[in-house]
Amino acid sequence: MNNYDIELVSVSKSFAGLPVVEDLNLQIPRGEFVSILGPSGCGKTTTLNMIAGFNTPSSGDVRVRGKSQTRVPPERRNLGLVFQNYALFPHMTVAENVGFGLRMRGTPKAEIGPAVEAALRSVRLDGLGARYPKALSGGQQQRVALARAIAPRPTVLLLDEPLSNLDLKLREAMRIELKEIHEQLGMTFVYVTHDQEEAMAMSDRIVIMWQGAIVQQGEPDSIYRNPATRFVADFIGRSNILSVSWSAGEAAFLTLNVDGSPIVLRSACLTDPQGIRSCCIRPESIVLLDGTQELMPGQNRLDGVVRRIVNLGAHQELLVDIADGLALTVLVRSGRSSSPPEPGSTVTLGIDPHDVQVLSD
Amino acid sequence: MNRVLACLFWLAVGLVLLFITLPLAVVVAASLSPSSAVTFLPWEWTLDWYGALLTDRWLQPFLLSVRIATLVAAISGVLGILAAYAIVYERIPGATAIMAGLLSPLSVPQIVKGVAIVLFLSIIGLQGILGTPALIAAHVVLALPFVTRMAATSLANFDGNLDRAAQSLGATKRQRLQHIVLPMIKPGVLSGVTFAFIISFNNIPLSVFLVRPGDTTLPIAVINYLEYSLDPVMAAVNVASMIFILAVIFLFEKIGGFSAQLHGGSK
Repeated sequence: MNNYDIELVSVSKSFAGLPVVEDLNLQIPRGEFVSILGPSGCGKTTTLNMIAGFNTPSSGDVRVRGKSQTRVPPERRNLGLVFQNYALFPHMTVAENVGFGLRMRGTPKAEIGPAVEAALRSVRLDGLGARYPKALSGGQQQRVALARAIAPRPTVLLLDEPLSNLDLKLREAMRIELKEIHEQLGMTFVYVTHDQEEAMAMSDRIVIMWQGAIVQQGEPDSIYRNPATRFVADFIGRSNILSVSWSAGEAAFLTLNVDGSPIVLRSACLTDPQGIRSCCIRPESIVLLDGTQELMPGQNRLDGVVRRIVNLGAHQELLVDIADGLALTVLVRSGRSSSPPEPGSTVTLGIDPHDVQVLSD
Repeated sequence: MNRVLACLFWLAVGLVLLFITLPLAVVVAASLSPSSAVTFLPWEWTLDWYGALLTDRWLQPFLLSVRIATLVAAISGVLGILAAYAIVYERIPGATAIMAGLLSPLSVPQIVKGVAIVLFLSIIGLQGILGTPALIAAHVVLALPFVTRMAATSLANFDGNLDRAAQSLGATKRQRLQHIVLPMIKPGVLSGVTFAFIISFNNIPLSVFLVRPGDTTLPIAVINYLEYSLDPVMAAVNVASMIFILAVIFLFEKIGGFSAQLHGGSK
């Protein structure tokens, strides 16, 4: 008996001969908040549906707490499900919605009432049990859906883009709330989304899917710092991606030639230098040097001309030409004292070699 | 400009409503006239003609029509739900063809259908069921396309996520049908059933071939009466059955619960 709530063992799924998920292996430990993140069409919803039982894998095995679910229909898997469109039963009151799972399982009436109360309290909707769903706001409806899914105490809660229909402010508030509910319940959450900010904000672990396969998984921070492929670097956060090739290794640094330009970058990444194809530099890791700072050992220095500036409020986004046809996006904090450079002015950029992440594709 | 258009619009609406209701007003007025000739705008009023309806001559056909219409509504309701369930929900093989077949009675004139049913029954040696059983069967054939269509549309508009949500909450197929699917398609089915009731209750072209003498439905009794006399009793019969139909529609609307809770509940 291992400690995994959900295991996918080389699971594949194709529709009409078209592979949607290919040879997927995934283990989700008990109590973790895992996000399956990817662009639309990457196979994440199909993966969720295979866990829930609405899609049968073409090959491979889905296990819940070590037990194969191949022959278990969705209604016997004891998994909670929250949909993007809430999918509340419009002909039932909020309390009837939340109590539905327990009623269907034949729980005695005396136990259903308190369980419904508790579930509604945990999503902070106590007192609204007698209303009908359509009398509630979008955010409240999604909380009812959440309460309905957790009331029968499922093994795992599956959430399919649950916040996508809400407006931005509410979505941000709900992120925090979902995370709190997760901590309070200690239940395993599997959260499918295409929104990388959502995944970053809530998850213990992010699983990034692309073209039916997992391309990287790990803690949000480590994925952000060390993207494994060009796709991940581009998909998670903002980044400058440059095609490079390795020219020489110095003591602790690799020297990289930027393709098609005379620019040379140093990277502190320890990896097989032969396999390097590109590198990723986060816009916020580039600093503007004004000659007063001391150079760190190995620090990259690049001269460039500011092409344009976008004011983002808290930050200024600079596009800086550093060579013919080569520009870097730089994010600098808006300061009270320092004014940002004017478009057309010459600036010097500093990049720590540790912030030059090499990629193999 | 917009005001002119709005005025024209309401004028058109008014004229259409007038066109529909004026003949009914004539009938209502005629049924209240004391003279035995059918007149419009009589100067005196009476309810005597309605009293004449409370005799076996009219009560028997009325009760028979109600019995037949009720059975037709119930039978076509059940069959319509089952057909729509198989076609839309289960998507059985050949669903489209089956649907087309079920809707095909709509494209055959009722007179033709009536003759065909009589001939068919006598060929297979079932002339004995002519009369009420044949009437019920024929009306079900006539009403089924409406009920099936309405139930199928409701099922097609039914959000599959509701079903999946119920399933993930542990509901078996039977429980989902009982607690989710049927309540959700109830309004559509009930309006189909209302149609079925009215179609059967008002039917002349099919019934005329299938009734047994002395055991007629209300519309056929009216036709028979009209052959010999045209007096305000006719008007009274028609007004009475109109009121009855309105009452039936009202009743079904009430049971149907076309109330706010069924609209806009799930986005």
